[in-house]
Amino acid sequence: MPLPRLTPGDRLEQRRHGGRTCAQALQERFAQLRPTPVTARKVGFTTKIKKMSQEVTQCLTYVNYGMLTLFGYFRDYLRKSGLETTHSAIERKKMKDFVPLYQSFESFVTRNIYMRIRDCGNRPICSVPSAEFDVLEMVSDDGNWHLRLTGKSRRCVNVASYNYLGFAENTGPCADAAAKALQQYGAGVCSTRQELGHYSIHEELEQTTARFLGVEDAVTFGMGFATNSMNIPALMGGKGCLILSDEKNHASLVLGARLCSTVIKVFKHNDMEDVERKLREAIIHGQPRTHRAWRKILIIVEGIYSMEASIIKLPDLIRLKKKYGAYLYLDEAHSIGALGQTGRGVTEYWGVDPRDVDIMMGTFTKSFAAAGGYIGGSKRLINYLRAYSHSTTYACSMAAPVAQQVISSMKIIMGEDGTNRGQLRIKQLAANTKYFRQRLVEMGFIVYGNDDSPIVPVIICMPAKIAAFSRELHQQNVGVPVVGFPATRLMESRARFCLSAAHTREMLDKVLDAISDVGDRLQLKYSLNPTTKAASAEECYKQVDSLAHEE
Amino acid sequence: MDRTQPKGSPRVPAGTMGDGGTTYSGVNPNAVWLNSRGIWLSYVIAVTILHLILLSIPFLNVAQAWTLTNVVHNIGNYIFLHMLKGTPWETNWDQGKSRLLTHWEQIDFGEQFTTTRKFLFLAPVILFILASFYTKYDPLHFVFNLSTMLLVLIPKLPQLHGVRIFGINKY
Repeated sequence: MPLPRLTPGDRLEQRRHGGRTCAQALQERFAQLRPTPVTARKVGFTTKIKKMSQEVTQCLTYVNYGMLTLFGYFRDYLRKSGLETTHSAIERKKMKDFVPLYQSFESFVTRNIYMRIRDCGNRPICSVPSAEFDVLEMVSDDGNWHLRLTGKSRRCVNVASYNYLGFAENTGPCADAAAKALQQYGAGVCSTRQELGHYSIHEELEQTTARFLGVEDAVTFGMGFATNSMNIPALMGGKGCLILSDEKNHASLVLGARLCSTVIKVFKHNDMEDVERKLREAIIHGQPRTHRAWRKILIIVEGIYSMEASIIKLPDLIRLKKKYGAYLYLDEAHSIGALGQTGRGVTEYWGVDPRDVDIMMGTFTKSFAAAGGYIGGSKRLINYLRAYSHSTTYACSMAAPVAQQVISSMKIIMGEDGTNRGQLRIKQLAANTKYFRQRLVEMGFIVYGNDDSPIVPVIICMPAKIAAFSRELHQQNVGVPVVGFPATRLMESRARFCLSAAHTREMLDKVLDAISDVGDRLQLKYSLNPTTKAASAEECYKQVDSLAHEE
Repeated sequence: MDRTQPKGSPRVPAGTMGDGGTTYSGVNPNAVWLNSRGIWLSYVIAVTILHLILLSIPFLNVAQAWTLTNVVHNIGNYIFLHMLKGTPWETNWDQGKSRLLTHWEQIDFGEQFTTTRKFLFLAPVILFILASFYTKYDPLHFVFNLSTMLLVLIPKLPQLHGVRIFGINKY
């Protein structure tokens, strides 16, 4: 459509809008907003029904919680009036006029909701938690207040353990090496790192870890949680520091941040614009009352978040950190060993230089089937931590067999044992992840998180369905953890599957069939747009097969 | 304004059902669950269902049904928001601070004039207006409607945040 001829008034406007008239500028804005011509889009009838059904599900979830609450009050009344036996601890009658020891309202959820579904969690197992495990059967005669073992066990597929590379085995080269280390060094190290607890195996472990991560040096600790909670205070101890923490950070990071006397600001989960906004605000306004500049700003994030399965947007974060001069603390508890072509974690996944991350923290619990944590970084940082960390000063160092397990598994992953078993495991995990997530999305479940993360949370909105899902899958020999309110948001109760390189495709097929069957019966397939991307998982499995044949 | 966590306190995600009935969160879910998606609509639907149930009782006429809806809604509102204190789950992280607060005082971590508070303030007002209309402004019904509405609106005023008159409901 031809534009009208320019009048003198238009020329004035042109100067204001950078060489275009107002009308032209508006046209361009509209063109930007609608890049392609709008064709009449008809929302299909089934989509409308499905959208309505999503809203119905939300309403019914609230109704579900409301009913549970009302029945909870009813049961409490029955228990108080003596019509039902009380199994929980109650105060003696003669203490009636004293201040009560417990506020019984605080255990409302435990009594009335948790006890009814208690058999879905804390199931005892009697084998090593590798790809499959033996789960002991429990029965209850009084509504889960007292659970007793029947003595029978059930062999289930293990999608509950953090066993990403499948090293949770009690036979094989890692186990043999750990047994030898036990003979050589003993079971425990009854001393701190700074006193008598520094063994040659710890040296070897730290050098191997540093080589694995691609950093100058590393220091290791006996406990993964304590690595965060003891070292963040050592790093951010002084006044005038600021911590920017992701809203979904783990309890250890929160505790570590709280143990320092710093100001903590929380940013929206994985939202880099919010990080930038908060950084700018912090730098512009300075410290709270004095408005002096902050001494240092530390951004604490995780590689993969265990409950959301989202992967941190690392390149953006590093760009921001460099632009504003902040430091970055990356907790790779779940991503080390699980992401990347050679298992080096989220830095390799994004193709980022590990030296750009100031403090690389991780744990040995998940991918290396051991216990403990590490921090990697520059030599200066690690020397400081060796001297000033609360953990090296007061806590016992890592036990030797555990350290040996880490060393053996790391060497296998790096390929230093001369085989390509490590590479095979990594590729198997990647193939399993792609396949499992794809199939779940195709079936119509709502799956959270990034497509490459080996943790798969599946949303089950309603609290009663949580228990049903867990029990039905247990009957079909799949062991899955489930979690609901108040641990998650009200609408976001979920089941979380943890994939492993030890899972074969047949096991995953069995699990997926069971999930699909239970999902149909419980109507858990909430998703509005199941997409199919058939090709990529098959390719990954072909790669795995070719690697396996290479051996 | 981001109201999913209190100022300066990081939020912690879940554990599994392992410790049941507790949260690992550093955040009180009582403060945020009324902001959940779809909860206001569910609230309106619940009041509508209550009203429909009362309308179906044969010996109540329309005016009485409306007044009863208003009164039952206000009493329920008062009990759950202003009488019950604390949380139905253990709060391990705040050293018992929320044990002394009613649910209304816990909403949005004590921040006043948020949209949830405005919604919960308006609900009794709208019900009062509807009830007055349907009872044709009858004086006796008016007394019941007004008194319960005042009962439930006065504790919601920001001036009465944390106030316990005559020490009632203090501990």
